[in-house]
Amino acid sequence: MNADIELRDVYKVYRKGRIEIPVLEGLNLQITEGEFVAMMGPSGSGKSTLLHLMGGLDVPTAGSVRIGDARLETMNEQELTAWRSRHVGFIFQLYHLVPVLTAAENVELPLLLFHMSASERKERVATALEVVGLADRMDHRPNQLSGGQEQRVAIARAIVTDPDVILADEPTGDLDAKTSLEILNLLNLLNTEFGKTILMVTHDPKAAAHAKRVLHLNKGVLERDEMNGLFEATEASI
Amino acid sequence: MLRLTYLYRNLTRNRLRTGLTLAAVALPIMIYVLSMAVVDGVERFLENSAKQLRLAVTQKASIVNPLPAGHRPKIEALDPTRTRLISVCGLRWIGGKIERDPRPLSTLGVDHDTFAATFPDYRLTPEELDVWARDRRALIAGRATARQFGWKVGDRVTIHPSVPPYIPMEFNIISTAEDAEDPITLICRLDYIEERLKEEGWAQGLVNFFFVKCATKADVDYYTVAIDELFAGSTHETKTQDEKAFMNEFITQQFDLPRNLTILAGVTVFVAVMAAANTMSMNFRDRTSEIATLKSMGFSSRFVFTQIQAESLLLCTIGGLIGALGPYIAFMHTRLGNLTVPLIQHLEISPTVVLEALAISVLIGIIAAVWPSWLAMRMKVVTALRSLE
Repeated sequence: MNADIELRDVYKVYRKGRIEIPVLEGLNLQITEGEFVAMMGPSGSGKSTLLHLMGGLDVPTAGSVRIGDARLETMNEQELTAWRSRHVGFIFQLYHLVPVLTAAENVELPLLLFHMSASERKERVATALEVVGLADRMDHRPNQLSGGQEQRVAIARAIVTDPDVILADEPTGDLDAKTSLEILNLLNLLNTEFGKTILMVTHDPKAAAHAKRVLHLNKGVLERDEMNGLFEATEASI
Repeated sequence: MLRLTYLYRNLTRNRLRTGLTLAAVALPIMIYVLSMAVVDGVERFLENSAKQLRLAVTQKASIVNPLPAGHRPKIEALDPTRTRLISVCGLRWIGGKIERDPRPLSTLGVDHDTFAATFPDYRLTPEELDVWARDRRALIAGRATARQFGWKVGDRVTIHPSVPPYIPMEFNIISTAEDAEDPITLICRLDYIEERLKEEGWAQGLVNFFFVKCATKADVDYYTVAIDELFAGSTHETKTQDEKAFMNEFITQQFDLPRNLTILAGVTVFVAVMAAANTMSMNFRDRTSEIATLKSMGFSSRFVFTQIQAESLLLCTIGGLIGALGPYIAFMHTRLGNLTVPLIQHLEISPTVVLEALAISVLIGIIAAVWPSWLAMRMKVVTALRSLE
């Protein structure tokens, strides 16, 4: 599937009782398949909301969100759920692994949504864990892994279904500098080697420096959209 | 397989909580099973009473007030041919204990000449009947009571009555009534009690009630009315009812066991629902992020609803199995089954009660998970993720 992303006149308003809180105000954006985009901005600028809209976790109050051929604003919850399982992989700041399952079982979870034999699932899990460098930690539970390893498992879980888009919400927010760099390098690898479109929300300019393009949001509007000058330098260091 | 692994691991995630919840379901189910076994036992007892074609005649005002023994010939006179009204037997309760033993006895003095005809369900042998007729001190000991006190045929026992004549009375055990429906009660001759009452200067010629054996169900219905009409307007009016109604009233007046046990069972099952619902709610709260993540991956609302329902069902069904099969095995397949319970004798736990209990466990599981699974199903991933930030 073509994974170009297009947002047109997107508004998102949250309601708290009678109070309306505008989060996104007429946002227009185009992201080409295979891009690695970082989204920055102060708290409340709308970057996570934008990520959720592009991941089909939420729908815009007005405007359209198109990912490839899919018009997300026209889909109901059931359709969005089915769409997410096939086209999007999420990576969260706090990993959100299932603590009672092993690394391999955590990675296998999203494959349950596909008609796939157990051996095929096993093969896919092994590949995903190998990509993130955790093939030797398959049978470890999350509490037996470091923060960085947990995030790697979360990344393996996000890529195991071979999604078109990977959405990462502060993926290095809970990690130290060295581990953050490992995770960012891994995301770069997924982008450059596997051609995944990656959208990453971050507060950290060092993390954003790993993306090819940086979007700056402020008060619900796209303030700056720039190609990353640091990218080449970062790429050279990998 | 992973689904089952996930289900199993979720249940063992917090072992203490799971263990306590299992106990909170198993114990009420156990109480339910035992209560229903007693209720069933009482029903069986009453059904057996209904089969005996017997009437119980008591004082109209209260069962506590005695009736004159002189009522017997008057009742017998209602059918001199003895074809419809087969026999009348007066009974006087003396309770009693044996020396230096606090366990109470249930001893009844009966008209020895009509006892066998009125209570053929005691199935006394001709030899036993012969001794019963000759020995004023004869005692037919209920087999369970006999075993409890280590008595056997031929033993001589001394009973201290709880009511007049109060003085110790010696008895000779002539039978342990192995085939009788009632394994508890001790039966002695009323003429022996009368003799001791006379010696001690107590009032004689009184009984607590008469039992009247009839030939058919129609005779039971007929004499229920005829006996009361006979004594209407006298100083000792009677209240006549069939044995089942009498026993039922006796049980109800004394402790209303079936009703109270049913209430107890209902309340404990309700407690189990509360405990299981609390556990499932806590499980849901602890796993908000996990459920949100599952939904973000593409697992449907129906999946998370089913997942929580399945966990609750499995937990409560295991609890139910422990609670239902535990007493079933204990009372039906171990020596605990020899334990006698007043009135209903042996506690019989029917497979039907076990199945009912399991069905209730399943129902507890479903009800307990309704709210958390509904919340999980309705949960907005974005809202859940925001709450965790």
